[in-house]
Amino acid sequence: MLNGEQWSQLLQSFLEEGGDLLKQAEECLLVLDGDLADEEAINGLFRAMHTLKGSAGLFSLTPVVAFTHQLESLLMAVRDGERSLTPNLISLMLRCLDELGSMIGRINVETGAVEGNDEVLQTQLLNALAAEMGQGSDSLPTPTAPREGQVQRAPATGEGAWHISLRFSPDLYRNGFDPAAFVRYLSRLGEITHLEVLDENLPDFHQMDPEACYLGMEISLRSASSKAEIEEVFEFILDFCKLRILPPESSLSDYLQLIRELPETDERIGSILVASGLLTEHELNTGLTMQAQGEEPRAPLGSVLVEAGMVAPAVVNAALEKQQVVRERRAQESSLIKVAAHKLDELINLVGELVISAAGAQLQARAHGHSDFIESTQVVNRHVEQIREAALKLRMIEIGDTFNRFHRVVRDVSQELGKKIRLEVRGADTELDKSVTDKIADPLTHLVRNAIDHGIESAEERLAAGKPAEGHLALNAYHESGMIVIEVSDDGRGLNTARIRQKAIDKGLIDPNANLSEHDLHMLIFAAGFSTADSVSNLSGRGVGMDVVRSAIDQLRGTVEIESRPGLGCTFRIRLPLTLAIIEGFLVSLGGEYFVIPLDMVTECMELGDQPLIDGIYGYLNLRGKPLPCIDLSAHFDLPASAVRRRNIVVVSQGRQQAGLIVDQLHGELQTVIKPLGLLFQHLQGISGSTILGSGQVALILDIPSLFRQLQALVDTGASETRSVQNRQELLPRL
Amino acid sequence: MSNAVQPSGAYGGLAGHSVQHLSFRVRQARYALPIDLVREIIEYGEITTVPMMPVFIHGVINLRGNVVPVLDLAARFGFELTVPSKRTCIVIIELALDDQQQRIGLVVDAVDAVLDIAPGEVEPPPPFGAGIRTDFILGMARSDNGFTIILDMRRVLSLDDIRQLSLAAAQGA
Repeated sequence: MLNGEQWSQLLQSFLEEGGDLLKQAEECLLVLDGDLADEEAINGLFRAMHTLKGSAGLFSLTPVVAFTHQLESLLMAVRDGERSLTPNLISLMLRCLDELGSMIGRINVETGAVEGNDEVLQTQLLNALAAEMGQGSDSLPTPTAPREGQVQRAPATGEGAWHISLRFSPDLYRNGFDPAAFVRYLSRLGEITHLEVLDENLPDFHQMDPEACYLGMEISLRSASSKAEIEEVFEFILDFCKLRILPPESSLSDYLQLIRELPETDERIGSILVASGLLTEHELNTGLTMQAQGEEPRAPLGSVLVEAGMVAPAVVNAALEKQQVVRERRAQESSLIKVAAHKLDELINLVGELVISAAGAQLQARAHGHSDFIESTQVVNRHVEQIREAALKLRMIEIGDTFNRFHRVVRDVSQELGKKIRLEVRGADTELDKSVTDKIADPLTHLVRNAIDHGIESAEERLAAGKPAEGHLALNAYHESGMIVIEVSDDGRGLNTARIRQKAIDKGLIDPNANLSEHDLHMLIFAAGFSTADSVSNLSGRGVGMDVVRSAIDQLRGTVEIESRPGLGCTFRIRLPLTLAIIEGFLVSLGGEYFVIPLDMVTECMELGDQPLIDGIYGYLNLRGKPLPCIDLSAHFDLPASAVRRRNIVVVSQGRQQAGLIVDQLHGELQTVIKPLGLLFQHLQGISGSTILGSGQVALILDIPSLFRQLQALVDTGASETRSVQNRQELLPRL
Repeated sequence: MSNAVQPSGAYGGLAGHSVQHLSFRVRQARYALPIDLVREIIEYGEITTVPMMPVFIHGVINLRGNVVPVLDLAARFGFELTVPSKRTCIVIIELALDDQQQRIGLVVDAVDAVLDIAPGEVEPPPPFGAGIRTDFILGMARSDNGFTIILDMRRVLSLDDIRQLSLAAAQGA
């Protein structure tokens, strides 16, 4: 399903996410430091911890999960008002965040283990927290002791030492390098267990050049670093020394080869190796004897030893393989470049300007009538167009990467809960803006976990209900009406509306007598602090998950809808606008103003006949035998009345709603970058953004769903006015 | 940008130091803005109308690939919408609204000069008679040829104010 490489990549992205979450948490704590009762900050902090715990759980980072779980429990007590924060507590929590940060920093991307985990410090921190919380200490479970099978690979134990041989060139000092500095730096990578300086080459005092270096060093280093990392230490002096590095637990033959290669006598080097504990006296002697007995020309030492059965071939290769892996990973990393998003935006803006100026140049060329000139501006224009398209695509990435991480989520969570679940991914090649993908990953994780935890029943329950024992979970993405739609659907039990209603009443979210539609009841699960799970598990049931989902989607100006059928399953459908992204638009004009209608919403265009609309702004027309409601856009937007005689209708539709927009002129399709209109226009209805046309003019983008809503509201207020008049009339006779 | 965060009415914050202001005309009166806020001054050009906004929000312009809203200062002060002439300019300012840096263009009838205004030359605004809302005025700078009204941009561009007016405009439409 996932190979090691993909796995490392995922873990890498968790490391980044974890860093971000800790940063958020720290910000919240700092806000709380100023105002201890800031609810936003407490909720934010809690959510950050919850998400961190969830993500860490996916990667089986048990120490992180255990530690975060404690913090989260404390925070939950604070959020629910059972405990209150104190400045001391905040400083303690900041220290806890630091420790979490260093735990995440110690995660080895290859093995997925937290290396050198400081359980003692963590226990101390948690105990201090519990003490600060006062009587709350009883309710805090003591941190779980490390279980068997999850013992961490500590760098200082169980691992052999690297052996590093250095022979400096005489020029070392003259080039301004001090060998001692490199040794000091090396000690940062690990512990130097043995170091011997070789001074055999020192000449007689009279012949000695005080500026030359005659020394060599043999170093044993205990470290979890890779060979490349050790080599990097000596990067600056590679030209001025002979560097040999032997990985820990190298085979005897490697040591023997080293001994032979070094200029000093075999005995001298051999004794150093024995002194540093890398070889035993016996091993050394056997090896040297065997080598001496070998026939000429000598076979490589390694093969001599392998033939003699002293070393298994695997041991000889192991060290080499480790180095190979490191090199490959490097190559992969360099094929991707990380670029700050604002740099891309800058580029896209500049390219947009370039398009406009190139068009200007072409106009000039045409005015001059110089054919060669015209031709070259055309070539320039074509290239500019290509650059623009390429630039716009830079921001778009496939959602598949985001979807892929759910394979692991589903496997782990379902194993933990003892459920059997199959994940199906569709539309993985649907492209969307990078910034949207980043922000949608968290909410999706919550939805997936909820679906597995609450939605899909246990195998027994499923069989009893006549469903296959294996649950089915689907992630789907597609473009619809200029939006991206992401669906998370399961074939589980569906939402239990009766229970949601009861819970909402218990939590005081709704009035017991409130008459809510099925849809309204479903939406209640997105309310803050709402959770129907009766038991608090590691996965969900804290009542934050759905809250996170909704706020993240709100931030992206998207919507979420729930389609639930009792006993058959539940689908969460998230619609996100492609803000910041490119849209395919249809350009129309009203007088001198240009408007862009998202092309996906346009179903057809036709010429407007002579018949006037009923009240000047709104009315209906006969579209192939069916009434089509119409709006005169200029009148609706209060723009100067149109002077154009032949006007056009653009028929737009969203879902089952359909309407005709009356405009002056049609200008055809275009691809554009959406530019947000900014704070001043944030309450503007019917317009979602703007774009800059090739001429440099700004065109506004129509927001069809909001236009429909606005029209619906007009109709509703109109209807209620009529109703209230009727009511009054009914009342009159009684008075 | 430091003078942008001063509370309205209190103009003594920068005791002793004179501050550079850009002065301009809207109808007959002279106004000034701290020069820190001003990013550039551009010729009055094509403005795209944004429908259903209060009349003083003239629309948006394309400023080198960025869409920047443009306010008609005269209309904001309650006068008629500006009829562009040769000297009409758009002053692009940048200030923090709701914790976000925003660039906004202001339509003015003419740009005059850069003035050094010392705190000692600044008088509190008269309770009425200045021709514009008193809370828009940070102070009145005295000089040989009369008073220059120093604007409190935070009030002139108050988002709450604009929001209310936008809602009213949308309902009226």
